[in-house]
Amino acid sequence: MSSSRSHAGVLPGFGLSLGITLTWLSLIVLLPLAALVLLAAEQPFERTLAILTDARTLAAYRLSLGGALVAALVNTVAGLLVAWVLVRYEFPGRKLVDGLIDLPFALPTAVAGIALSAVYAKNGWVGQWLEPLGVRAVYNTTGVVLAMILVSLPFAVRTVQPLIEELEPELEEAAACLGATRLQTLRRVVLPVLLPGVLTAFALCLAKSAGEYGSIIFVSSNLPGRTEIAPLLIMNRLEEFNYSAAAVVAIGMLLIAFVALLAINLLQAWTRRSQEA
Amino acid sequence: MRIEIESIGKRFGAAQVLTDVDLYVPSGELVALLGPSGSGKTTLLRVIAGLESADGGRVLFDGEDVTERHVGERGVGFVFQHYALFRHMTVTENVAFGLRVRPRRERIADSEIRARVAELLELVQLSAYANRYPSQLSGGQRQRIALARALAVRPRVLLLDEPFGALDAQVRVELRRWLRRLHDEIHVTSVFVTHDQEEALEVADRVVVMNQGRVEQVGSPDDIYHHPATPFVYRFLGNVNLFGARLEGGRPRLTGETLAARDAAPGAGACAYVRPHRLDLSRQPRGGDALEATVAHVHAAGPVVRIEVSDRAQRPVRIELSHERFRELRVKSGDRVWVVPREIHVYTD
Amino acid sequence: MGGGLPALAHGGAKSRRAKHLTEPRWVRVLAIAAAIAFLSLVLVLPLAVVWWEALRKGLGPFFSAIGDSDALAAARLTLWTALVCVPVNTVCGVAAAWALTRYRFRGRQLLLTLIDLPFSVSPVISGMIFVLLFGAQGWFGAWLSEHDVKIVFAFPGIALATLFVTFPFVARELIPLMQALGSQEEEAAVTLGASGWQVFWRVTLPNVKWGLLNGVILCNARAMGDFGAVSVVSGHIRGKTNTLPLHVEVLYGEYQFSAAFAVAALLVLLAVATLFARHFVAWRMARDRAAVARADAEPSESVDSSAPRVPA
Repeated sequence: MSSSRSHAGVLPGFGLSLGITLTWLSLIVLLPLAALVLLAAEQPFERTLAILTDARTLAAYRLSLGGALVAALVNTVAGLLVAWVLVRYEFPGRKLVDGLIDLPFALPTAVAGIALSAVYAKNGWVGQWLEPLGVRAVYNTTGVVLAMILVSLPFAVRTVQPLIEELEPELEEAAACLGATRLQTLRRVVLPVLLPGVLTAFALCLAKSAGEYGSIIFVSSNLPGRTEIAPLLIMNRLEEFNYSAAAVVAIGMLLIAFVALLAINLLQAWTRRSQEA
Repeated sequence: MRIEIESIGKRFGAAQVLTDVDLYVPSGELVALLGPSGSGKTTLLRVIAGLESADGGRVLFDGEDVTERHVGERGVGFVFQHYALFRHMTVTENVAFGLRVRPRRERIADSEIRARVAELLELVQLSAYANRYPSQLSGGQRQRIALARALAVRPRVLLLDEPFGALDAQVRVELRRWLRRLHDEIHVTSVFVTHDQEEALEVADRVVVMNQGRVEQVGSPDDIYHHPATPFVYRFLGNVNLFGARLEGGRPRLTGETLAARDAAPGAGACAYVRPHRLDLSRQPRGGDALEATVAHVHAAGPVVRIEVSDRAQRPVRIELSHERFRELRVKSGDRVWVVPREIHVYTD
Repeated sequence: MGGGLPALAHGGAKSRRAKHLTEPRWVRVLAIAAAIAFLSLVLVLPLAVVWWEALRKGLGPFFSAIGDSDALAAARLTLWTALVCVPVNTVCGVAAAWALTRYRFRGRQLLLTLIDLPFSVSPVISGMIFVLLFGAQGWFGAWLSEHDVKIVFAFPGIALATLFVTFPFVARELIPLMQALGSQEEEAAVTLGASGWQVFWRVTLPNVKWGLLNGVILCNARAMGDFGAVSVVSGHIRGKTNTLPLHVEVLYGEYQFSAAFAVAALLVLLAVATLFARHFVAWRMARDRAAVARADAEPSESVDSSAPRVPA
């Protein structure tokens, strides 16, 4: 779009629309978040440090972040595979599968949580087959990761899917003409083009999984210091009316989220740049 | 290397894109596939490359049947209309790609690859851009890199799909002359697709005119232009006036009637085709094939003077005269004139 | 989760790719099998099990769980929450999209990021910030209890938390769409003498109606389905401050599994309905776009079709 100093002159409604946006944004989003930041900042530094380095806090961060890393890795690979299969291959039920991908977007997380526990608990559909193998899939860290995978799956698939759809077939044809094998074409031509999208998918899954709460509490044993995720720790601190500790833990989570958000924005700028070529 | 195409047919769903196409491309020639969009020319090119498999027929390279051969093994260089450069690779990496993906035992040494790339960039006059990315190049430069990339693997055939289609008019003209000179230098058998008759006639040794999935005519540019084999070829190669005609003792005579395009449909009887510059004007009544008409417009700006006259039925006839001839005649709007054809082509059903 | 919800894919697979453009058959079969197996394990089985558990003891217990007065109260609260939040955030989302796509101003980029903010905040934090403001020990806690105004552990708190988490949906759908459309049509309307509202109702809205609807659908799904944020501010008072998702948790915690799954089954239905609505909208959008593309491709009536191209 052209730089549009002129637009401001022609189309009316600038003051009204910006006014509504700023007012509402401030009231609903910025002011409450500021309350959180201020409360955390009010704490003496030693106390903040003590809360952050508390074994229980560290364990919660480790679980939320570590689990999110694993879930994001799994979903990045699986999401790429699913997206590729959905775009490139023809098979019965493809449309249905494509539609299903979005379900975790629309499904309340509590439902996802109890559903997972029902499937993977030791008397569940899948759990009963895992039990004799000595594998426990829920009420431990595996359960946490499983829930994270479920809720962040759509982000992984839907981020790379449009990029695969927009791949120009000529690129692959050019590679084939030049004698590249299919594997070489995928590795050296297709994957580099998809890479920014794949990384964005990873960051999105990571951010979503790290903050996830609703589905996880049903498939984790929620033991403090062991299987207690960071959002649950915040919840527990709130229930103890220990607002300041909750706020400090939350600020740590927000920082993680912002780093992920920043990474995503940079990656998306990169994607746009490489698509303009 | 020579290319032979034997009764190739191709259909996409309900659409028959190629019907029983036969074609011979002699070794070392630069051949143009010319036709309107939807004539099947790009599909034919892709069948030659192996990017599309035909429903029937054979493709032979130097007498060897390559119909079933995978595109990567045919030894073709393909230049895509929108270049299809790998945007995450530099110019050098793009050009070297075909050399680097070879199986290890066939791969040439790294130093040799670098030398080959440098040589090709020299050839396409883009040595200074070796480390740029495609996004940092102009359209014409990208096209030349695409060409260098295709040539890097020493293809037996060079295939170009609308190679100048996405370029500005001026760059287009420069680049096609450059391609002609390049071909004279490297002499690799080349086939290019175009919908621009001027481009085909100027660049190619041989022009293949295609229409609705069939070959209408094959010949030298001269041949094609001066002896169009079919009404389609005649009309596709330039402006034309249509007149009613009949044959008298083997000689075509005009009936004195001007036809619109729809009247020249098959089955409408004989029809005479005359290019605007093969029509002359006379101020005096003339017998024979001359038509009486009134001058409607005169456009004198340009290399020729374009005049539109209306015949008695108010149908337009277009004439092109040299400025010298125009000065002699000095016609203006509203003048009564006689249109005298100097060369007519008649096609009968 | 920055970036919001990616658009639904609506391009079909290219039918019958040439050999060199696809993988060997065994690779394709293997990949499809792997993808379906993965999706079954994390997606299909969990959804199927909800309905299976819900109906395991027959339709009687299922309907009695749904018809239970607490469940009905939860459903009512969920509906009210959506009824308050969706219209408010729709209006604000449209205003934000208009301001951000029709003008350039300093801080525009920052504002774009801020609108996305609620996506990147953990749901629990989204709820707790309102507890910090309005809770018993919060900033306004003392003042509120003096004046006997209940926000946290009451409907206003639930509504506020839901407003926060659903804030970006409409704007997120509209911004890329309106950016892509550009403002030429609106400028044309202004030059023809249309007022601001006329431009909006007659030019902008018809152009973005499907995108707007898509945003509203997503906003509604989240408003009805949010768990984490609402869970913090609700206080879980049965029959009073439980929304449907919270009611599921309460029942589950009380080991009333069939009842919990019955309510969950309802929420699965809601999710499926949301998906259908989105697909319908995406389908209509694609159809409109195709119609526009066809109209553009239609050759204009030529004066004399016999005349071939004039040499350039």
